[in-house]
Amino acid sequence: MDQTELKSRIKRALLEELDLRGRSEADIDDAAPLFGEGLGLDSLDALQLAMAIEERFGVSVPEGEASRAIFASVNAIAEHITRAKAG
Amino acid sequence: MAKRERIAVTGLGLVTSLGFGRERSFTRLCAGERGIGEVSLFDTSGLKSRIAAEVRGLDVGAIAPHAEAGDWSRSDALAFVAAREALAQAAHREGSALGLALGGTTGGMYETERALAAIGPGRSTPQDVRRLLDFPLAVTVERLARALGNVGPSATVCSACSSGAVAIALGASWLLSGRANRVLAGGVDGLCQLTFTGFSALGAVDPEPSRPFDVGRAGLTLGEGAGFLVLELESSARARGVPILAFLSGWAVASEAHHVTHPEPSGERAARVLSDAMAVAGLSSAEIDYVNAHGTGTIQNDAMEARALQRVFAADVGRVWVSSSKAQIGHTLGAAGAIEAAITALSVNRGVLPPTAGLERPEVPELRHVRGANQGARLRAALSSSFGFGGACAVLAFEAPDAKPRALPHARSGEVVISGAASYGPAGVLRGAESARYLIEGEVFAAPSLEPLSLLDAERSRRFGRASALVVATAEGALRDAQREPAETGFVVGSAFGDVERSVRFLQKVLGQGPKFASPAEFPQLVASTGSGNASIYLGLTGPCLSVSEFATSGQSAVSVAISLLELGLAPAVLAGAAEARDSVVDTVLGGDGTRSEGGGFVVLEQLSSALSRGQSPRAVVAEHRALRGAPERAFAALPDPPRRACVVAGFLPSAIAGSLRRSRWADVRLVSLPAVLGQHEAIGATALAVATSEVASGAAEQALVITADVDTLYLTRLCRYETQP
Repeated sequence: MDQTELKSRIKRALLEELDLRGRSEADIDDAAPLFGEGLGLDSLDALQLAMAIEERFGVSVPEGEASRAIFASVNAIAEHITRAKAG
Repeated sequence: MAKRERIAVTGLGLVTSLGFGRERSFTRLCAGERGIGEVSLFDTSGLKSRIAAEVRGLDVGAIAPHAEAGDWSRSDALAFVAAREALAQAAHREGSALGLALGGTTGGMYETERALAAIGPGRSTPQDVRRLLDFPLAVTVERLARALGNVGPSATVCSACSSGAVAIALGASWLLSGRANRVLAGGVDGLCQLTFTGFSALGAVDPEPSRPFDVGRAGLTLGEGAGFLVLELESSARARGVPILAFLSGWAVASEAHHVTHPEPSGERAARVLSDAMAVAGLSSAEIDYVNAHGTGTIQNDAMEARALQRVFAADVGRVWVSSSKAQIGHTLGAAGAIEAAITALSVNRGVLPPTAGLERPEVPELRHVRGANQGARLRAALSSSFGFGGACAVLAFEAPDAKPRALPHARSGEVVISGAASYGPAGVLRGAESARYLIEGEVFAAPSLEPLSLLDAERSRRFGRASALVVATAEGALRDAQREPAETGFVVGSAFGDVERSVRFLQKVLGQGPKFASPAEFPQLVASTGSGNASIYLGLTGPCLSVSEFATSGQSAVSVAISLLELGLAPAVLAGAAEARDSVVDTVLGGDGTRSEGGGFVVLEQLSSALSRGQSPRAVVAEHRALRGAPERAFAALPDPPRRACVVAGFLPSAIAGSLRRSRWADVRLVSLPAVLGQHEAIGATALAVATSEVASGAAEQALVITADVDTLYLTRLCRYETQP
């Protein structure tokens, strides 16, 4: 899957799974942090996102510290999915 | 300030994973035994934790009355066993009057899940779907009321994991206000896949038996069970000559208004609730010898709770014994507050401390943890804490039966008024006198086209279902109409079935794709207290916030419970009402005639003195609000003559009740049946209350009578104009 398409699917997952009403894909910067400042997401969102990535992309997300790095940005999520699919 | 009598505990009943009955449960608990093992009720494969504190050997068919044996849920049976034990100890004669307050979160969810699993994809019959609505939260109280006889008042309350404690506080209110002379109050929750997979998805479950307050703790262990207390005034117990087991001396219920799953980390609100319960009891922290903590074993709860205890007891914290029973009997959710209240009462009664099992390395060594088995100690007074999802805090204080009597101040509650109201219907949210337009003859209202979520801040209402959006938007309208600040305001919302459609979707995913696809963010939106939790956090309400369930009279039950909270002095004002959204499952079962719609209403119930002190003129005075089981004739006969300008606004009005009305002095008063105007839904009675308030507030009516009924219960609320109050 090409990276643009993958990132678009990740953003759609973010919007739907985290119920970010009133926002669109265009509002989410590929490199911007998702948690804390960024979209103002919390640990409950992180759990939901981990489950959704496994469900939608067939890629599991490790728990704890490791997941924090993966959820740093849309770019980081895309990288994790690409690496997991390749491996 | 008036004085109050002490409340005596005269009966205790317990069913836990450690055994049927209080003796077996308490003896094994104090011995440090753990009732935790592999789950046998449903498949847990694929989950990190596969253990729970299950009640083994529960024969539902043998416990239920013969005629209803096939209809009872495990929760019904757990509750009935504990209730019977408590009533027997209190020497309650069958058929004597009895108030019944029950806390719980899941009701017959286990049976609903079995029914759902039995429905194959694409071949469900209406009977299959109907089965999904056979076990709403309110059913247990109905079944117990039928089995025990002569029950009233009654209520089913849910404030997540503090439900059982809130039910006990409600019972105390009924006794002090004279609404009941004896009360059976407690909680029940049975294990089910919804909570098991939900807590697991939240990463809140320890794969090993839980270790509350330990540095190595990794989450909770779920459990199931029931606990009941029989409560009565001290004078009643003395007159009957029944032994007083303990005194229920204090109570406090409040909300953090912080987060749907995380406790507020500083423990500030929890500490305040602990202090408030002591203040009600007239106890100083130096007189508390033991705290039966909430102690779930999750990282966040136990750290918050330790901080709260350090705040309250300060330098004295090393003197006060602390333990959590959850490492032995599991976290029994809505039952926990009642089961642990019973354990606390037994502890002060016998001078024995139950330990915290599994605690090896205390995270906060400053606390005086109970570690050894069967430890004796003279306990003058003890607290039982409950801190639930959505920041629902409740603390109860118990004293030993030999406690010296002392003067207990009690603010006698004054007149209750409605200081604000709002309805939700085809015209959206209507505040104050605006709702009166639904009473204009000949007006036709189209079906609501509004998206209720669009009325709320998108970020702060993330994950709200349509039902929560309706509840919060309507409640916000009533609060604004009352021009009241949300702080210290309470909230009681009636909910008939909960968000069935969304729960079914969650469960179908778990049953179809496997438990690891349980949605962590969905789960907190599916518990019975979702509406009150969301409203508390969204609106910033820090008073007691809870949900109640009573079929299509849930909104009216919410008003009853809110009045009781006001009478107990737990808040100066309480938002009360209900709002229901369209739900595909409910509509399939009940929507045969095409008149289903959605909407609801909320009112701010406030002490008259509170409203006046902040310069708010009441919209209406609540002259009477009554729940009646059977024989409504007398209630109608007792109505005073209607004034010249009056109206009757009906929610659901069965023909028998309409007949009683026609034979009353209110026979010729203009009657508007709201379902004919707005369609049928379970919160139509709550809409009726807001609309009637509106008619009185606008001056169109000097008095309004609100009538609605369901199952065996009829509610009658008479509102008067504030000025015309004699």
